[in-house]
Amino acid sequence: MARTLRPAAPSIGRKRTLRVLGTDISLLETVRVRAAEDLGFEIAFEALDFPSCQRKAALDPDSYDVYDQCFHNLGIVWHWGALQPIDTSRLQSWNRVGPLTKLGGVDKYASRGVGDVPKNKLYVQSDHALGPNESRFISMLPTVHNFDSFGYDVRLFEGDEPLRESWAMLFDPRAKGRVALVDEPAIGLFDIALAAESSGTLSFVDICNMSPSELGALFAYLQVKLNEGFFVRCWSTGQEAAGLFKRGEAGVQSMWSPAYGMLGATSEYVREAEPAEGYRGWHGGLSVARHVSGPVLQMAYEYMEWWLSGWAGAVMARQGYYISTPAASSAHLTAAEWAYWYDGREASEDLVGVDGATVVVRKGARRSGGSYLERARRIALWNTVMDEHNYATRAWARFVAAVNGRAR
Amino acid sequence: MTKPRAPVQSARRYELVAAALRANIASGRLQPGFVLLEGPIAGLMKTSRAPVQAALRILEEENLVHRFEGRGYLVGGSRAAVSPVRRDLSKLGLRIPNEIDSALQNRGLWERVYEEVESAVSASLIFGDFRIVEGALGDYYGVSRTVVRDVLGRLHERGLIEKTQSSHWVAGALTAQTVRERFQVRQLLEPEALRTVGDRIEFDRLARARTLLRAGESVAGGPAEWIRLDRALMEHAVLRAPNTHLVELIRQNQLPLAAASRALTKLGLPEDTVAANEYLVLFDLILDRAISAAAMYWRDHLGNVAEKNLARLKLVAVISDAPLGVPYLTLRDAY
Repeated sequence: MARTLRPAAPSIGRKRTLRVLGTDISLLETVRVRAAEDLGFEIAFEALDFPSCQRKAALDPDSYDVYDQCFHNLGIVWHWGALQPIDTSRLQSWNRVGPLTKLGGVDKYASRGVGDVPKNKLYVQSDHALGPNESRFISMLPTVHNFDSFGYDVRLFEGDEPLRESWAMLFDPRAKGRVALVDEPAIGLFDIALAAESSGTLSFVDICNMSPSELGALFAYLQVKLNEGFFVRCWSTGQEAAGLFKRGEAGVQSMWSPAYGMLGATSEYVREAEPAEGYRGWHGGLSVARHVSGPVLQMAYEYMEWWLSGWAGAVMARQGYYISTPAASSAHLTAAEWAYWYDGREASEDLVGVDGATVVVRKGARRSGGSYLERARRIALWNTVMDEHNYATRAWARFVAAVNGRAR
Repeated sequence: MTKPRAPVQSARRYELVAAALRANIASGRLQPGFVLLEGPIAGLMKTSRAPVQAALRILEEENLVHRFEGRGYLVGGSRAAVSPVRRDLSKLGLRIPNEIDSALQNRGLWERVYEEVESAVSASLIFGDFRIVEGALGDYYGVSRTVVRDVLGRLHERGLIEKTQSSHWVAGALTAQTVRERFQVRQLLEPEALRTVGDRIEFDRLARARTLLRAGESVAGGPAEWIRLDRALMEHAVLRAPNTHLVELIRQNQLPLAAASRALTKLGLPEDTVAANEYLVLFDLILDRAISAAAMYWRDHLGNVAEKNLARLKLVAVISDAPLGVPYLTLRDAY
């Protein structure tokens, strides 16, 4: 095929653009610039908070080409008919995607976790619904993920007895007045529900699909704890969470991996818990908007392929996130980085973060929870948009407003 | 008095509007091609738009009016080649038969207030638990406590509100649990009703609704199509079951679901080609007189619809404020 003659000075404005809608988890400027360089087309990022991103994806599918979100924010958007199936036969990297999403667990002995298990939303079934039965077509290409817990100030929990790390620590009397939570309902609600259940106060038939009366009991209990002055803040960004620890306002709180790298000198006192009950997992991925076709669809597939080809996964690792194709990323990480982030071994040198300059891990530190496999085997539940999500979100919003109103 | 007033008085509002329009089409005052718009008709009949919409749908099924590329309906059957006639409805000197006019006007203040309150309460269900403040309601509509009590009594009767131990009227949130349970009840009752309708099924009306779909611009198309088909199925088949108590149970059970569905529709429905096609299959089964098979199919279909409704309900979570716009509904913590 004859190639079209290119003008001497190609105009940037005439290049095609791939529009990606997502969140701060993965829509980093450094990623955008590198992807555009590698792929030869323009890329525009729009980063929103989880609920806004999900809403826009569902109701305004023409406004983006690729949806970069989590599996728990996928079901609604899929149901709304805003996305199209991804043909795995067009993706070479599909064969390299690990078993966590494809099979439901990293190995036979790994706990699968409850709630929005990615595998249950991964495959497009014959009736166009999403389900766990393997098929050539998938709803979302699995990418970034992690196993979250909470962080705590070790000075607060010093004592004679060795500490048993449990989600119940969020209701430990010593933490009264210094408990903070992430304000996102599909995430923060489960941190505090795990705390309520593991402390023996409440019990849920299915913690990831609570009934209205179970939600009522949970929020009534939160109201009691609120009145007792337990909560200091509900935060929405990792920076906020780090600030709460640095200023000594939080003693135990929900934490996201990148926030541990923002603690500076305080990191000496803050520990990421390995809760006895297990982690709260989440898994991100890339989906394609329904309207995308032709050359833009080709760009979308190239972009997805690029994400799993190694470089991006290495960037994600430097903020503590795992990628679904770790082997491809190992070549883009130093031996020291790989040893710390993926193998759970001691950092043999200071490690820098995403910006390539800020030290986020000190020499000698060891990642809490151990290696990727060790952590991935201990998933208690996944971030979840449960059946009563609407009802729960409204009650949660009132709780968050009450906590933050009090703090002011 | 010789006129048969009673049937007209007890008729539903949309039936009254349909009767008035039918009479004027028959007399030729509404000429073929005349463009019928909801707003002006509602104004003339002193009613809200909803009964006018329903009336126009009935006339469409009777092939007295038909839709066209523009807004509204044209007088005349769909095969009639007429060009649109746009004139001011209020200057036509339409005749509203006396008994229909008085029935429309004399439905009582409380019924008009009832319609508005029911609509506001229905819209609130998906946004959480609300308290209805009686005093504020009375002040808002400028009506007495007696009227307020009548209105709330009726809402209570219809299962949309309840009284708490502290004697407050409350509208409970439509939870996923409620949706699931009510759909389970639908799955029990409606196929059974369909089985027993027998000859009372209005096959011609169903066939007409089916034809409209086939001839329509979007067989697989938008949400409006399957909502229309659903309504036709209910009116011309399921709700014509001989057991009136069963019919009443079906109506009651559907009320909050229908209310929520309207509220959800206002937020934007997804295109649902599967649902539209499922209705097609169902209509064909009924029209082929395969009623048993239709009943079984309806049961499965309701299961699918339930799952879709649950998914739709989740999305409402991203809309933070309840845009109700009435001062007598206040949000409450139900726990």
